[in-house]
Amino acid sequence: MNRRDFIKAGAGAAGLLALGPRADAVMRTTGRKATSRKILILGFDGMDPKMTSRWMSEGKLPAFKRLAAQGGFSPLGTSIPPQSPVAWSNFIAGTNPGGHGIYDFINRDPKTYIPTASFSSTEGSTKTIRVGNIVFPLKSGTVRNLRQGKAFWQVLEEHDVPATVFKIPANYPPVASRQRTFSGMGTPDILGTYGTLNYYTTETKYVNEDIGGATVHQVYVIGNRVDAKLPGPKNSFKPDRPDTEIDFKVFVDPTNAVAKISIQDQEFILREKEWSGWKRVSFPLIPTQSVGGICMFYLKEAHPQFKLYVSPINVDPGRPALPVSTPASYGEDLEKKFGPFYTKGLPADTSALDNDILDEEEFLQQDGFVLEESRAMLDYELDRFDAGLLFYYISSTDQRQHMFWRLLDEKHPAYDPALAKAFGGTIESTYRQADEILDRALSRIDKDTIVLVMSDHGFNPYYRSFNVNTWLRANGYLKLQNEFKEEDLDLAFAGTNWMKTRAYGIGLNGLYINEKGRESDGIVATGPDKDNLVREIARKLEEFRDPKTGEKVLARAYVARDVYTGPYVDAAPDIILGFNRGYRISFKSPLGRVPKDILEDNKAKWSGDHMGAAEIMPGIVLANRPVAAERPALYDLTATIMDVFDIDKPKEMIGSSIFKKGDPR
Amino acid sequence: MSQDKIKIDKVLLDKVRKYADMSGYSSVEEFVTHLLEKEIAKIEEADSEEEIKKKLKGLGYIG
Repeated sequence: MNRRDFIKAGAGAAGLLALGPRADAVMRTTGRKATSRKILILGFDGMDPKMTSRWMSEGKLPAFKRLAAQGGFSPLGTSIPPQSPVAWSNFIAGTNPGGHGIYDFINRDPKTYIPTASFSSTEGSTKTIRVGNIVFPLKSGTVRNLRQGKAFWQVLEEHDVPATVFKIPANYPPVASRQRTFSGMGTPDILGTYGTLNYYTTETKYVNEDIGGATVHQVYVIGNRVDAKLPGPKNSFKPDRPDTEIDFKVFVDPTNAVAKISIQDQEFILREKEWSGWKRVSFPLIPTQSVGGICMFYLKEAHPQFKLYVSPINVDPGRPALPVSTPASYGEDLEKKFGPFYTKGLPADTSALDNDILDEEEFLQQDGFVLEESRAMLDYELDRFDAGLLFYYISSTDQRQHMFWRLLDEKHPAYDPALAKAFGGTIESTYRQADEILDRALSRIDKDTIVLVMSDHGFNPYYRSFNVNTWLRANGYLKLQNEFKEEDLDLAFAGTNWMKTRAYGIGLNGLYINEKGRESDGIVATGPDKDNLVREIARKLEEFRDPKTGEKVLARAYVARDVYTGPYVDAAPDIILGFNRGYRISFKSPLGRVPKDILEDNKAKWSGDHMGAAEIMPGIVLANRPVAAERPALYDLTATIMDVFDIDKPKEMIGSSIFKKGDPR
Repeated sequence: MSQDKIKIDKVLLDKVRKYADMSGYSSVEEFVTHLLEKEIAKIEEADSEEEIKKKLKGLGYIG
């Protein structure tokens, strides 16, 4: 089944199925003749200005230092809030969130209060016909990118400037374009989730439901053989949309630490601690249709316990079941050249480390594959980069800071001295790897190419968790049906008494008023009642201090109407939580839970974060041309791109070029 | 429309009558139907909520 059929069928992967942009038949922009200018932009997610600056001055980042000396280095103003989909959307659209409508990883449906993913929406086929036991769709399902506004590469296309944009976050499905683009953060696995690994073990394994992202299978070795199932997407061809699965077998050598895996028509042998590389799998839907994906196997232990990790099943870039590139042939071409590669939005398997399924070393091996693939493909793109814009994204800088902060910071509640000895230098070595990537890129470009290095936000420790709904309850803004029962259920706002609730938190930084006419059970009138309540809650939040440390939990509680401009301001949360250094929303709050305590220590491996006030969480920008802007921000880089190609900035874009007028381009 | 009857405790029925009237419903039936539809919708949405949560958890940021 090809991608078009899969999408048309509305089958599988949580119904994610839609006709994405497809422009194979149309030639790419012919702008190669229109411009000889070139700009290379390397996007390192989450690189922090303080750490970059420190390691530059210590001589550990020589390429960064060289670039800074050649042009400039500056903190880069981030988005409110500094979450990657929001921040990268600021850059993509050249606006603040009021201009692109992405405010958080998580939005909510005001009619049900149920959390939803903010960057894409999926609707299965609504018109179907049932023949016997099979449901045939009559109309395609759709998956939509919810980011509004025009992407900078679409503007370049209108001016015949070619662009290649690789894995920029918040571009799933990739917006329609003839430019070469590959989707990034936000791209699901073939189950339609943002990553669900499978782990097969004879050990009784506790899975931390607070982290999720993993399915653990209890298995048995009987006669040296393990019988197991690999779960696949839902089968929308069947009336009750059952889950699909593939049976597979593992033959464990009774004496040596080796196993043979037999899945579909493939057999391969893994030694203990060995990775399989990418394997193709195919889930049958109906006799003539199936959907495929790619995954990696890792034999963690053969004896005495059996432990097998299988990565989330990624969309196969060679035969994509979901729209991951423009033109569709771009991903297929890359796959022909490099073989299968990671397509899931955030490919580092942080859930595996969080759930103790992979240890630190194994996690770094896995994310190392991601980095290796990225490096190889960047080399390839650089070698054929002859005009226009090349944007390239690296995720490891962000993901490793999330997971390893606890081991470079003795104050962290999850600090472990023994692990710190082995892995305390991981973040520094990741910055050094970023430096190597930059150095390699600089050696492959000519002197006329403009180079920008950027990150979307900085980083800080995540010591303490804030349960916003518990705080709202303690302050009388959120009421439960039964006030004597602590409400820690797993459902969003289960037990909330909406008729008496005036405000609620959802997402990583969002706080909403329960507004009459907007929320289904809203009670606060639009106008002065709401405005006064917003100001009152924002003031109290900014005054709130952590009883344990005496520190303010929030550096800022932004009122949306004060900080956003543009046509999509009405979609914003009413208040955006800008945390103080060391604080973040708890793992439980974003989906609407109301745990017992307002504040808790964060003992998770996910130990660094960036949900702070924008003022304390800037990213970085470096350029090989003098940076004239005193306080550049993400949307200024979009204006800079327009400036480089002498394109009049579209009226929606709010930034200014970081370069001085008249300076050589 | 089917006319099946259901039994409701008298004290509860009195309350239902009172609040149906106070809330501006034209009849007890309309009030009860509305409440039941709302509750059933919540239950029906529970599955999709679970699916949404499963989808989001892989981001790593949430629980």
